[in-house]
Amino acid sequence: MNSALYLAVRSLWWHRRRSLAVVFSLAVIIWLPATLRIALNQFRTDISARAVSTPLVIGAPGSRIDLVMHSLYFRSQPAASVTMADYQLAAEATEAAAIPLHVRFSTRSQPGAESAPIVGTTPEYFHFRQLRPQSGELPALLGECVLGADYAVRSGLKAGDTVLSAPRNALNLAGEYPLLLLITGVLAKNYSPDDDAVFTDLRTAWVIEGIGHGHQTVDRQTDLTLLLPNDRENAASMTASMGILPYLEITDDNRDSFHFHGDTAEFPLTAILAVPAQERDRIKLLGRFSGSRQLQCISPPQVITELLSIVFRIEQLALLFTLTAAAAALLLLGLVLNLSLKLRAAEMQTMFRLGCSRLTILRLQSAEVLLLLLSATTVAVAGGLLVRNTAAALLQQLLL
Amino acid sequence: MIAIRDLQFSWTDGPFRLCIPTLEIARGEAAVLAGPSGCGKTTLLNLISGILPSSAGLVEVNGTDIARLSDAERRLFRLKNIGLVFQDFQLLDYLDVLGNVLLPCRIQPSVRLTPALRKRGLTLLQQVGLADFSQRSVTRLSQGERQRVALCRALLLNPQLLLADEPTGNLDPHNSRRMVELLLQESRRNGATLIMVTHDHSLLPMFDRTLPFEQYLAGKNAGDAGASP
Repeated sequence: MNSALYLAVRSLWWHRRRSLAVVFSLAVIIWLPATLRIALNQFRTDISARAVSTPLVIGAPGSRIDLVMHSLYFRSQPAASVTMADYQLAAEATEAAAIPLHVRFSTRSQPGAESAPIVGTTPEYFHFRQLRPQSGELPALLGECVLGADYAVRSGLKAGDTVLSAPRNALNLAGEYPLLLLITGVLAKNYSPDDDAVFTDLRTAWVIEGIGHGHQTVDRQTDLTLLLPNDRENAASMTASMGILPYLEITDDNRDSFHFHGDTAEFPLTAILAVPAQERDRIKLLGRFSGSRQLQCISPPQVITELLSIVFRIEQLALLFTLTAAAAALLLLGLVLNLSLKLRAAEMQTMFRLGCSRLTILRLQSAEVLLLLLSATTVAVAGGLLVRNTAAALLQQLLL
Repeated sequence: MIAIRDLQFSWTDGPFRLCIPTLEIARGEAAVLAGPSGCGKTTLLNLISGILPSSAGLVEVNGTDIARLSDAERRLFRLKNIGLVFQDFQLLDYLDVLGNVLLPCRIQPSVRLTPALRKRGLTLLQQVGLADFSQRSVTRLSQGERQRVALCRALLLNPQLLLADEPTGNLDPHNSRRMVELLLQESRRNGATLIMVTHDHSLLPMFDRTLPFEQYLAGKNAGDAGASP
């Protein structure tokens, strides 16, 4: 080994507590801006990729960012809903493939796993996002669901288990009841917000919302108390009383009893993804809804670019703060190194008196500084790479 | 071995003046410089070893005029030809015993650590009774053991001149005597000339010759000399 390097290593090892303190301080100085940069790049890549893969989103008028965040990340609720009629309109407007989304409910949180959004959609969504089951299969029947990969890991649930939906309002006894969903499979990891969601079909989502329900047979033979008093004798009509309770789980035995009230065309959706076959169709669709007061059609990449410009400004500010702190820390570190050299002046004097060359003294001191810098950079980069995904996810939570 | 002619040296900011009209020390001779602490004995050693440049005069070591060498040449000459033992030994805490002995091979690019030198380092340690301590930290050695490590370091490159600067300064009489015996024994074994500085007059009879240091001082207050930088 090179002599200067050998002496530097031995010296640093002998003063290992001091060396560790210096390496740690330097690593933090390097790690903070590096990690911020790495995480922001990762965040930028992730968010852009998701946006680019989603050509158009149709939703109720309101915040464009909210609509994009809702339809891409299942976060934030649009101020108003769209309907199945709007979905039909979008589907017929162009050659675009339209994918309905209903994301209003989430699973009930449990120890070790926060709640996950329940996404009601059609099988086209899985095809569009290239989501495939890693185990089990996609939901086919009412009351079935499939879990995103990360949520499955967090919750410890698997195909064959059940997951309970959480009503938005516990006092809404007439509408939303918790529904026990049967898990038919777990999706392969997709490195997207889909990994943290639970997917079911639209009709099941509507059942969770209380638009559809199932209950025991209501007739005069079963139980008269389940009918309104006036209907108990009247053969012309039968109206169920408050005594009837909806099923909280959809099973093979009760599946046929589930039904929906009202006009299907008015059933709510929270957003519609539109996937035009060609650029011409995309422009056509944008134009089709540009003057609409009931619907807005937006291009997620455009909205995300606007959002990223805000993030970029925040990044510049954060970097400025970090670099200022780093400059102060470097000054302190310089002071420490300077004091350290002064403490070792006697050692350097001994080397000189023995006949040490100037170059070797310079090499020795440089080798120590370089080793400290190299160690700190290695630690910082390793730390940055380790927390890259976590930091990017954290940024998504903070910024989206 | 050492020839000094008309040597003059003084500090710019003090009355100390050293004047040596002529001084010769033969090869293999063991000479001692005696005098009170701080009277300038170390300065003379520094002049002989080239650590300090003289104001005027000739300092020749083994036929080489020290004053004619550049700084880099003086450093290399010192490393290859002069072994130095310091008062407090100046061992490096972060190196083990053998590492300290081999230090001269790590401070000049032109002096490489070879297996032969490593073997010589171990042999020297064996000769001073420290063979089993080669991997031990020098911080765990007694004062006497540290002396011997310092001596081995000074002898590693087989110097023709050994300069010992008050190596007994911090030692009790018994250990002082042992240190001097060791210096004499090892310098003779290696055929080196020895100049030792001491303020302990009881050690003088052990040497071949005592240099008349008082005669070399030209300042009005010789005792202040060592206080100069």
